Amino acid sequence: MNQFTFTGKQKGFSIGLMIIGVLCLALTFMTAPEHHHARFWTNFLHNTMFFTGISFISMYLLAAHTLAYSGWHTVMKRLIESFTMFLPVGALFFLIIWFGTSNGWHHLYHWAEPGITNPMAENYDRIIAGKAPLLNQGMYILFTTLLILFWFAFALGARKLSTGSTTGEEGLANYKKTKVLMAIFMPMGAFTSAFFIWLAVMSIDAHWYSTMFAWYTSASWLVAAVALITLMLIYLNEKGYLTEAGQSHRHDLGKYVFAFSIFWTYVWFDQFMLIWYANVGEETIYFNTRLTKFKALFFLNLGINFILPFFVLMRNSTKWKVGSLAFIAAAVFFGHWLDFFMMVKPGIYESMHAHGGHAVTISEAGHAAHGSAMELGWHLPGLLELGTMLGFLGLFLFIAFTTLSKAPLMDSNDPYLEESLHHHAS
Amino acid sequence: MSTEKEVLFGLYNDETELMKAITVARESHLDIMDVYTPFPVHGLDDVMGLSESRLHIAGFVFGALGTLTALGVMSWVFTRDWPIIFGGKPYFSLPAFIPITFELTVLFASIGMVVTFYTICGLGPGVENPILDDRITDDKFCLAFDTNGLDEAAVGNLKGFFQDTAAAEVHLKTI
Repeated sequence: MNQFTFTGKQKGFSIGLMIIGVLCLALTFMTAPEHHHARFWTNFLHNTMFFTGISFISMYLLAAHTLAYSGWHTVMKRLIESFTMFLPVGALFFLIIWFGTSNGWHHLYHWAEPGITNPMAENYDRIIAGKAPLLNQGMYILFTTLLILFWFAFALGARKLSTGSTTGEEGLANYKKTKVLMAIFMPMGAFTSAFFIWLAVMSIDAHWYSTMFAWYTSASWLVAAVALITLMLIYLNEKGYLTEAGQSHRHDLGKYVFAFSIFWTYVWFDQFMLIWYANVGEETIYFNTRLTKFKALFFLNLGINFILPFFVLMRNSTKWKVGSLAFIAAAVFFGHWLDFFMMVKPGIYESMHAHGGHAVTISEAGHAAHGSAMELGWHLPGLLELGTMLGFLGLFLFIAFTTLSKAPLMDSNDPYLEESLHHHAS
Repeated sequence: MSTEKEVLFGLYNDETELMKAITVARESHLDIMDVYTPFPVHGLDDVMGLSESRLHIAGFVFGALGTLTALGVMSWVFTRDWPIIFGGKPYFSLPAFIPITFELTVLFASIGMVVTFYTICGLGPGVENPILDDRITDDKFCLAFDTNGLDEAAVGNLKGFFQDTAAAEVHLKTI
């Protein structure tokens, strides 16, 4: 079957997930009003960041494969394309967060507090004032919403070229045009995504910075995106679609999950070790907080995202078998969602508690455990967080399925399709 | 390499003919010695019925050995043999050991696998490896049978097989 139909059952399922998500978000908003509904806003930011990132990195994967003259991925090109269509939703959600920042609906970003860059004000912060040229409302909207729309323009262009050919000759011409488009997108996307990551996530801990952070975050997106592509391909195969993508394609996706998990661990550890070794107080406080107060999350993250895929996907056969591959893909997808949870939550949790009239000092942070019980929603995701994730996933899948149903699953005019059908790995 | 071997081999012009011939040979229970191709042919392992290589198990063992060596030596040196404080860090500083552990794991795994591979294949410095025909590194696909101890009828049977499967050339060679 080359034409995907978005059945009522799938529609119902993804809309059901969305309803769960909306309910969970509403419940979070009502039940946790502390610190300007911080739990609600962090969940919203966390999931928006995670799924927008997956969408962006899917476009990036397409660009990388196209520019590398890759043939094996062509059979699942439409699937990867369908992920990029979430970008405008991400842009909209970041617009909401930006409105919240500028209107004081939430205190996600310490740098956005009024007066913080004014030397006359009581809460003047010299360090943040020094970073004001980057950390301000204008830059925020520029490097989140507008940037995402800029990426989306490329995604739309690529999609038009991909669906626009009716003959093999047109397919070849469009393929060449796609190459030019992707060659422009690739460096632009790579460099600008760092700004996006700095403003949307790293600026939560506005005093802290790490030059590895953008690498680390995009590596996390990459694993999550490949895991989701794998899961979707397995699902579509089950439903009888894209059966041309068989064991060899799964094997390569398995290699991707394996390799990018190791890449993620590499940048994760690099960031940690450089800061640990240099031992500069302003930098180590970030990891001190996470290692003492968020210990369970910190090591869980490493366990799910490195130990598990590393040992399970090491053998060839576990990459071929649908069961083991699907299990690991689901695990690392959830694991990287946890990774983003840990990027967003601790910084805001700390500032919440500092806000309550007692500033957290380094020596105090050292005595971590004192009286700080694990709070669901902050130290570990609670049911509301999981529900919110399901809601975003539902929306993501709804958009992906809608996009899939609009064009044939395989582009018979793509010059590389034939190569992809004969792909043989191992 | 003093043991001499009599080898009967056929040369094919392309890999599809070779693959067909291998399938026929396996169906009629002929004992293939080896197959030589100028480039890696996809699906050849499956057609020949070769089981998955176990070289990577050796790789894992050597890698684990490297990990243990690196961690063991560094722990011993920095906690027992010659403890020195670097930058106020504890003697046993696992994060600082990780990069070297990683390097030694890769080094042991790669060198160990090369040595294992060479040993299995009987390769090494000074070893002479007879080549059946120069063109199997260029444009010919070779299927070889070991004819040591076979009677004439069996050899004739093999020659008939080569004829049936349209081998471009058939040779008998002692190596």
